[in-house]
Amino acid sequence: MGGTKPRQVTVNGAMREIAVAPGTPLLDVLRDTLGLTGTKEACGRGECGACTVLIDGRPVMSCISLIEDVRGPVTTIEAIAGDHADLREAFADCGAFQCGFCTSGQIVRAAALLREPWPANAADVEAFIHTAMSGNICRCTGYTGIVDAVMRTGAGRGKLGGGAP
Amino acid sequence: MSHVGARHRPIDWEARSAGRVSYSGDIRLEGLLEGAILRSPHPHARIRSIDTGKALRMPGVHAIVTSADLPPGARYFHEGEKDRAPLADGIVRFVGQEVAAVAAETRSQAYAALRLIDVDYELLSPSLDVQAALQPGIDSLHARATGEANVSRRVLRQWGDAAKGRGDSRVSVSGSYHFPRQAHVCMEAMISVARWDEAEQRLHFWTTTQAPYYVVREVTQVLGLAAGQVVCHEVGVGGGFGAKSKICDVEVIAGLLAQTAGRPVRVRLSREEEFETTKTRHAFDTAMRLHADPSGYLKAIDASVTVENGAYNHSGASVMSAGLKGLGMMYRPEGVELSGQLIDTSMQPGGSFRGYGTTQTSFALECLMDELAEKLGVDPFELRIRNANQAGETTLVGARLGSARLVECLNAARQAIGWDAERAQRRPGRGVGVAAGVHVSGSFTEPGANRSDAAIDIFPDSRIRVRFGGADAGTGQKTIMAQIAAQELGVAYEAVDVLTMDSERTPFDMGSWSSRGTHFAGHAVRKCALETASRLKALAALKLGDGPLRLEGGEVRSDSGSLALGELARLSNESIDGVLSVETSYIDPVMELPDKDTGRSNISASYNFATHAAVVEVDRKTGQIRIIDYVAAHDIGTSINPTLIEGQTIGGVVMGLGVALGEAMIHEQGKMVNGAYLNYAMPRSADMPRIRPIMIEGGDPNGPYGAKAIGECSINPPAAVIANAVHDAIGVRIHDLPITPDKILKALAEKEGRARRHRIWARPSRWWIALVRWAYPHGLLKVLHGRGAPPQTCTDPAPLKAVATPESLPEALAALNSSAVLMGGGTDVQLRRRQRLIEPETLVALRGVAGLKEIKTASDGWMEVGAATSLAALASAMRQSIPMIAEAIDTIASPQIREMATLGGNLIQEKRCWFYRGGFNCFKRRGGLAPCYAIEGDHRFHHNVIDGHRCQAVTPSDLGTVLLALEARAVIVSPTGERIVPMADFYTGPGETVVKPDEILRAIRIPPSALSRQGAFTKLRLWEGDFAIVSAAITAQVDAGGRWQAPRIVLGAVASTPWRAFDTERRLAGQAVTAASLRRALDSELDAKGHPLARNAWKLDAAAGIAEAAVDAILARRQLVEG
Repeated sequence: MGGTKPRQVTVNGAMREIAVAPGTPLLDVLRDTLGLTGTKEACGRGECGACTVLIDGRPVMSCISLIEDVRGPVTTIEAIAGDHADLREAFADCGAFQCGFCTSGQIVRAAALLREPWPANAADVEAFIHTAMSGNICRCTGYTGIVDAVMRTGAGRGKLGGGAP
Repeated sequence: MSHVGARHRPIDWEARSAGRVSYSGDIRLEGLLEGAILRSPHPHARIRSIDTGKALRMPGVHAIVTSADLPPGARYFHEGEKDRAPLADGIVRFVGQEVAAVAAETRSQAYAALRLIDVDYELLSPSLDVQAALQPGIDSLHARATGEANVSRRVLRQWGDAAKGRGDSRVSVSGSYHFPRQAHVCMEAMISVARWDEAEQRLHFWTTTQAPYYVVREVTQVLGLAAGQVVCHEVGVGGGFGAKSKICDVEVIAGLLAQTAGRPVRVRLSREEEFETTKTRHAFDTAMRLHADPSGYLKAIDASVTVENGAYNHSGASVMSAGLKGLGMMYRPEGVELSGQLIDTSMQPGGSFRGYGTTQTSFALECLMDELAEKLGVDPFELRIRNANQAGETTLVGARLGSARLVECLNAARQAIGWDAERAQRRPGRGVGVAAGVHVSGSFTEPGANRSDAAIDIFPDSRIRVRFGGADAGTGQKTIMAQIAAQELGVAYEAVDVLTMDSERTPFDMGSWSSRGTHFAGHAVRKCALETASRLKALAALKLGDGPLRLEGGEVRSDSGSLALGELARLSNESIDGVLSVETSYIDPVMELPDKDTGRSNISASYNFATHAAVVEVDRKTGQIRIIDYVAAHDIGTSINPTLIEGQTIGGVVMGLGVALGEAMIHEQGKMVNGAYLNYAMPRSADMPRIRPIMIEGGDPNGPYGAKAIGECSINPPAAVIANAVHDAIGVRIHDLPITPDKILKALAEKEGRARRHRIWARPSRWWIALVRWAYPHGLLKVLHGRGAPPQTCTDPAPLKAVATPESLPEALAALNSSAVLMGGGTDVQLRRRQRLIEPETLVALRGVAGLKEIKTASDGWMEVGAATSLAALASAMRQSIPMIAEAIDTIASPQIREMATLGGNLIQEKRCWFYRGGFNCFKRRGGLAPCYAIEGDHRFHHNVIDGHRCQAVTPSDLGTVLLALEARAVIVSPTGERIVPMADFYTGPGETVVKPDEILRAIRIPPSALSRQGAFTKLRLWEGDFAIVSAAITAQVDAGGRWQAPRIVLGAVASTPWRAFDTERRLAGQAVTAASLRRALDSELDAKGHPLARNAWKLDAAAGIAEAAVDAILARRQLVEG
């Protein structure tokens, strides 16, 4: 083990002092050090999206983000959940989760997507969401419900017909 | 309000959508240790000795266990065969079998200790596939009752009069169909947390399971404990699909470690372990013949199945048996004659998997129904309608159909998919397919499987709690139990809680498997709720008199007054602390255990049917299948919650489409080689169309509220639907799942009589390679493999001493030394560390280096892109100016990875060969005389077809391919200065570059000509985000007359480095290129220069096809501009 020089990371709006072994993945910091267990590990290889968090508002895989290389504020499902009640309700209504293990990552990814520009042509939105959500594997739902939930939330936020929110 | 039939939200939706449900890995216990498992690297060996001495002395280690720590002869029950010990007892029979386990303070301490356990193996001869296992004289893995080597079980089934049926028939069709091993890939990998309570003398578990009943039963007997000493607690369960329907392989180990260490222990499998070592769907080879009369009435079905059991009997015999039974349920021939053999191999064991054998046999049946329809000239829907079993009938296998709406499903699917219009139009490359399916709603396979108990508590505050012993792995069982309780007790849905899995507080249930959840939980909770309601009414009658009473609004009401349920509970002299509890048993009255001799019985209470149909488009140039539309009509009886029913339907369809289109577990030397999300081609969101479920309702006399099951039936039809639709589209029938592009292109080439001639005899530079490749299957691989260490799966990176975060280039250069590795986004570096391809002490992160993320245009017009620019930022910057760069980036990995990964990291990433990456000690990993496993292993997708030498890998970077076609240059800095290298000289081998260890790739320079070039990038891949199987980056200066000047035609993933088709470029220069003219030129160049491996010649066809698509894209873009 190397040194455990403390470093400061902003997580869900609060500055946290972190002292962990060099090269500790952000995911382990969140789950083990900060007790934020809403973010899940399903592969540890950056391949499935279950551990998605936002850094500087952008979705990344926390399982392969080393704490030293985290260069912006971190937002996790624990904070996203409070800000996106409409998205969570849509997930529940559309059958967008079953076992729920990938759901935190799906919702965090979707929350970021809802802030990105959507296609101007409403007819292109479904394929756009199918593609944009492809970094988040779900083994239960077959994806139709997830796409519906994101579309419904986007519609509710006036995103159909394009442009920024 | 009616709760049954309502689209209520999942009972715990608020917690589940906020990350607040506690799964086993979220359980925090004081003093929790991390467990890790030492596994056999050999497929078959005798353990001479195990020395744990060194490992025990490692820091942080608290316990090490082997089979010696288990009671003598400890074996899992499974199906009564008792052939597997939880930790290998003398013999290992597959790669990955558990040999020893460690509990330590941290995961890395546990893994470090594993490395120090010394196991002395005596190698025995393995049987790595069914053919090998049946070779005369082979060592038998077990002594089986059949008396035959490696034949675990044989079964013969004759139902009805097949001989008469054959005599009455005039037409027959036959075929052999292969269904591969499929992995469950639950998002939550196997995990078990155990705590031994010394004072209580009890072992507590928080464990991911579909059946706490089996966990308790098995752990109790294996560890020699007494009834009541093993306790399961409720946790979230992250998917099951059959993987967790009995005990898994981690619970006993966790429990034993916890007992030994005297501290709680968590054993969680890495994703690689999950893929490589847990039980899988059984691979089936099904040979079948259908006999029919000229009108299309089935007369007989003959089938013989060979099932690969793997190393141990878990559910192999019953999966095989269920697969055969499925053939006696849907249609009504006069008889069936079925045989099965279950073959032991020294491979990962099979286990239960959604569909349970019926998925495998129905693939064969439903493909053959299509062939029969074609042979008879009968519409495939019509043929199925003629043969469909009806309500009231008893099928050949003894199933008594209380309801059967297969015909309604067929009609609904036909209409919804637009069958008649599709068939009438006959568009080239487009096809439509149909297949039917059937499944049970629970099965009476062993005593107790026809029973479920439920309990209901009425609390003083009128809240209701249902207690049920099963587990909800995501199917929605808890939700429907709450709906039913709310319905019968007249309370709000929100007033009901459901407790499951808790072996102390919940009554008997065998768990959620065989699609029994709705049937048993539904009946048991309904029965219990009705009994509770009548108790409450009796109590209310004492106060409210004899008038009519009703339960509503959380009260019992009469015309004269009302009493809250909680108040009534307090009135009961049975209540404890004001809580009234009612418990009841539901024993299904119609299910029967199978007859021992014939296998016949009414095994289930109800039978659910389905018809799926799809429209597909097949690209004859690349072999890619696109699903345009998919409908799934299901005979569900009634729906208790339509949203959940639709979810089970769509989820099953997509899991079935996974194996139709990409999923198969691939092994080499007994070890799985594609055991990662990256390599296992399971569906991503963009790969799937919208699935359209159709619910056919009408009830079933034996189901709760008329409901039948849904969870498994939906996975049965998809494979045959796709095979049939592909046949309709292009006229070739694929018998071997999954239907990947290689099989399509190979079949088309055979059908059209095309074969490439590479004239190796005339190319002396390839003679040596050809000779070595020839020698591999003739003993060379065996010799070279035998010299080296067996493959090892690594999942724990070596610890780092530091992560340097320099802010300037000189600082970064200074940080480089022999134990430092550069990191861009880290997306590949972390993986290579995990794979133990690199073990740096220091990582030097480049993202903070000033100037490395800039994109600027120099005075000479060249654009310079900093190497640490993220792929996402690069795509945004290039989308207007050089769109092919953005389009290529759009195909790379996932949005998350594109945010992290950098341009430099993408270009420098290592080869992705799954043998090299997956722990095989190949030439590139170990050097010397180590073999290349790709030569004999599965190399269909990601290996070389042109210039392979010792290593058959290819350069994986798509941007490398694109930047070569744009004539870009790399800017490389070292402590002594800067050098500029054209992309043409950048790669020296597969994923190997000219950048030296003391250098940094600073930027990429793109010439001004790139802005005026027309270009396109196209890529063939197995799933959205996968690496290229083949790709093409084509650019040219197109003049006003449409003539291509200085074309650059670069193919990716065909050679060790991005490969320029120089001859083709020369032939096309100055011409108005079309897809056809490119194809002619490229085909002849690929013939002249190609040197494919045994099974990847198809990639040359695919490369030509994908290059055609790039030309089409360039021409289309020009038209758009000109138009």
